[in-house]
This record gives sequence, structure tokens and C-alpha cells, in this order.
Amino acid sequence: MSPALVRLGRQLVLVPLVALASYFLMAALPLTTDDDAKRQVAPEVLASYRRDLGLGQPLGFLRPWVKLFRGERLGTSAQGVTGDELLWKLSGSVGVGLVALVLALGWALAFALLRARWRRGRLAVLGDALPAVAFGTPVFIPALLLAPAVVERGHLLPELSAALVISVWPGIFLGTLVADALDTELSRDYVRTALGKGLSPHSVLWRHVLPNVLPALLDAVGPVATALLAGSFAAERVFGLPYFGQLYVLAVLQKQVAVVVVATTVFASLLVAVGLGVELVRLWVDPRAREART
Amino acid sequence: MSTRRVPTRAWVGLVLLVGLGLASWLAARVFPEALASTCPLGTDPTHPDRTVCELAFGGLWVSLAVGLMAGALSTALGLGVAMGARAAGGAVEHQVLRAVDAVFALPDVLVVMVLQLAGQSMLDAGHAGGLGPFGLMVVSLALVGWAGPARMFRNRLATLEGQEFIAASRALGAGRWHLLRVHLWPALRPFVLAVFLSRLPTAILAESTVSFFGIARMEPMSLGRYLGTSYAALIYEGGARVVLPAWGLLVLLVLGASLASQALGAGTRRA
Repeated sequence: MSPALVRLGRQLVLVPLVALASYFLMAALPLTTDDDAKRQVAPEVLASYRRDLGLGQPLGFLRPWVKLFRGERLGTSAQGVTGDELLWKLSGSVGVGLVALVLALGWALAFALLRARWRRGRLAVLGDALPAVAFGTPVFIPALLLAPAVVERGHLLPELSAALVISVWPGIFLGTLVADALDTELSRDYVRTALGKGLSPHSVLWRHVLPNVLPALLDAVGPVATALLAGSFAAERVFGLPYFGQLYVLAVLQKQVAVVVVATTVFASLLVAVGLGVELVRLWVDPRAREART
Repeated sequence: MSTRRVPTRAWVGLVLLVGLGLASWLAARVFPEALASTCPLGTDPTHPDRTVCELAFGGLWVSLAVGLMAGALSTALGLGVAMGARAAGGAVEHQVLRAVDAVFALPDVLVVMVLQLAGQSMLDAGHAGGLGPFGLMVVSLALVGWAGPARMFRNRLATLEGQEFIAASRALGAGRWHLLRVHLWPALRPFVLAVFLSRLPTAILAESTVSFFGIARMEPMSLGRYLGTSYAALIYEGGARVVLPAWGLLVLLVLGASLASQALGAGTRRA
């Protein structure tokens, strides 16, 4: 079997593993309404916990999924979710994530170009400091700074603001990778040879250098997708967006455990889908990956 | 025998970390009135009896302590897994590495949230084995963060074991324990420190985000929890006065750990 298929198989196995692990972790929770417990849960939460997880029933771990496919509500009636609502919320978060990805690519290009320019001047230290500042900034900080303009005064679209704040760190991260990969490739012999044979720097960059930089960029797509989706949790909470991240945080806070099981598995499936997409693109753009396949 | 110099950048990072942590602890625990009386940022919108300095600077040492303990525990777990995998070798090592890669692919914040939900339910029912909210957060972060160090230690051990001095020592009859104690551990030690410091920012940021959501219940409040308890007020009253100092402190913490980790890591690669 080809290495690419083996990698795809390993990623796909993650989905049922996450589903089972999260189910059995949630099914083992000692939730109680007993008086001797320090913090009780509401009786309706406990009832939905037993009902939705199918505790003590054969194949009970399939119960949350069966309910979703039947269009029934998971969790309590006030804070639960149906399959259609879950898909709608997920599409909202993915939409914000895709806009953020476009913005992140813009940041990446801008940062890579600026760092290349700064390297020769007094601003070289900024090229090192900016990634440190971006890495040290959790998404909720820029979201909080932007929130009064977005939530209170309504000056900016909340979805666009969320995409903006979650795109900064992935953008700088991608920019650092692109800048480093460009540095490495531009110093190679084939670049000198191509320039020596009379090719314009523009042609060398687009026809020879960038195709070699692309695999490094593909390696970063997984962490970037994770960062964008995880970042959307904080941005959606601050800007009050009723999408998947908000649903997840509220499900954890309100102990809607069946929703947590399903949402965790959906989140893992989304990351696996991104991984599969990356593998396919890699096979398309990287001849070395195709050679490994045959 | 020459002593290996610790790079200047590593010293700067370590001094920044230790200095900030110590100053925050002293200000919050020993001289709280100093922060209360001299704070130029005024009182907090949701805690009118406390100043922003008390809550932001006073919460720094909690974030740092969580990061240090979680970083140490995840590094120790990763080291144990890597050593176990190397000792077992063959198919067992291969399977362990697959499990490590699977855990590494999971998003930190999401898994910590699920673990906090599970841990807090056990805590409420009195089944948490003596762990409080602080210990629960440390364990959650460590359970999420061990995979990266395990991968790095395993690769480093494989490189070290392939070197000639190890082969020579084996040929002279050295046992596994002797190799580990006399040859491998001294070569691995600076790398362990670098990996531990590299875990610190990730742990601090994950804790801040989860605490910001209101999922962790730590007392005294960490920086993330402080901003999380105030976030509704910050949205409507304009929070730059509160958010900017907390942001600056988080960036300084992460910068200190990153500087020290990168400088020590570069040193071990050269060695």
C-alpha cells in the first residue's frame, strides 16, 4: 500500500477513536442531583445526560448519533441542538475560518515581504519580535480590544471582525515559514544557474522557487486549520456569534455532555478532512509525494 | 574540561521569567497594599474594590505557576514515554509513535475543555483524588501537552544512540542503565530544559484561553480567568485600560520562555 494511503488511513481512524474516547469519558462522569454533592446539576440536565448517552443500554454509544440523524434534540430543550442546527452552526464557523484563512495568507505574504526588506536594515529586530508578540497573544485579547466597536457600537461586521482577529497568529506563522523557506531556496545552486542562464528573477521565483516552497506551506496547513478553528471559539464568544465555537463552549459550561461528544467528534472530523485535502493537494503539487506513491 | 556557556539570550529569557514571576508573587501575596495604592489604571469595572494592577499583575504568577507545573509534568511524561518506546523498540515503538502523533494532532484548547468538564464533575462529586481546580488544570494541560515532547525526546534519543561513543560503550560491555546514566542523560539534559521551556508558552496560553471561557475555577485568579470574569463589562465599557496591561504581561511571559527555549535549543543542536 502506498505511504499516502497509509497516512490517509491513519487520519481516518482518528474520527471513531475520538468519538469513542469522548463518549466513554462523558459516560463516566459522576453527575448527580444528590444533596451530598457540592455542586448538583439540574434534574433536567441529568435526565438528558442519561437519555442522550443511552447509559446502561446495549450500543448506547450510538445513541447521540441516532438522535441526531432522526432530527431529535440533543441536550436539554433550552440549550440543546438538533442535527440541522449543528450543521448550520458548523457552516458559520467554517465560513468565518475560510475568510480568516484568506486574511492569514494576506498577512503571511505581507510579513514575508516585510521581513525580507527589514533584514538588511535597522528594523531586523522587528522581524523576530513580531512573531513573538503574535504567538504571545491569545485570540481573546484582540477580540476584547475590538469588541466595543463591534458589539456595542456596531461599526464592524462581527463575522469579519472574528475572521480578522483569528487570522493574525496563523498569518504571521505562515509568513515566517514562507520567509524561511524562500531564504533557503533562493540560496540554492539551481537558482544561481537559472539566473546565470539569463532567466529573469521574476521567472526564477514563479517557475522554480515557489513550487519548491509550496510543500513547506502545505505542512503548515494542519496547525493553521487547528489554530483558526480553535481561535474561532474565543472570537465567537466575545462577538456573540451563535456558531459552532459558541455552541461548544456553552455545552461544556452547561454540562450538555451529549452535545460535547458529538461536537468533539465533528471537530476532529473537520480536521481530518483538512488533512485529507492537504494530502491530495500534496500529491498534485509535489512530485516527490507522487514518486513515493508509486 | 571546558564549561559550556549559557547563551545571553537564554539568560535574558530566564531573568525575564523569574523576575516577572517573583515580582508578581511578592506584589500579590506579600505587599498587596502597594499595588492597591499606587495603581495608575484605576479600579476594575467588575471588581470595584480591587485595582486593575492587583488583578492583572497579581494574576501573572498564577498563570506562570500553572505553566511551569504543566510544562514540567508534560515534559516528564513525554520523556518517560520516549524512553519507554526506545527501550521497547520495534513494533511497540512504532505503535507508541503513532499514538503520540494522534494525540499531537488534537487541538489543545478543545481537549483541555473536555478534560476540565470531566475533572470538575469528579471534583464536585468528591472523586478528584485530592486535586483542586489548580491541580486539575495542571493535569489537564499535561495530558494534552506530553505528545510533542515525547516525539522530540524519542528523535533525540535515537540520534544520540546512533553515535560512535555509545556504540563504543556498548562494545565495552556497558549495560542499558549505565548508558542512560553516564552517556545519554548528560547529553539529553540541556535539551530537556529547552523542551520544558518551549512547553511553557503553550501551556500558559491554553490555560488563559480555557480560563477566559469561565470553564476553570481557579482561585486566586489567573490572567485569563480575570479577563474572562470581566469580559461582559469590557465589551460595553471599553476595556483597553484593563486588556492592554494583561496582554503586555502575557507577551512578556511568552517572550521570556521563547527566548530561553530557542537559545538553549540552538545550543543543544550545535552540541
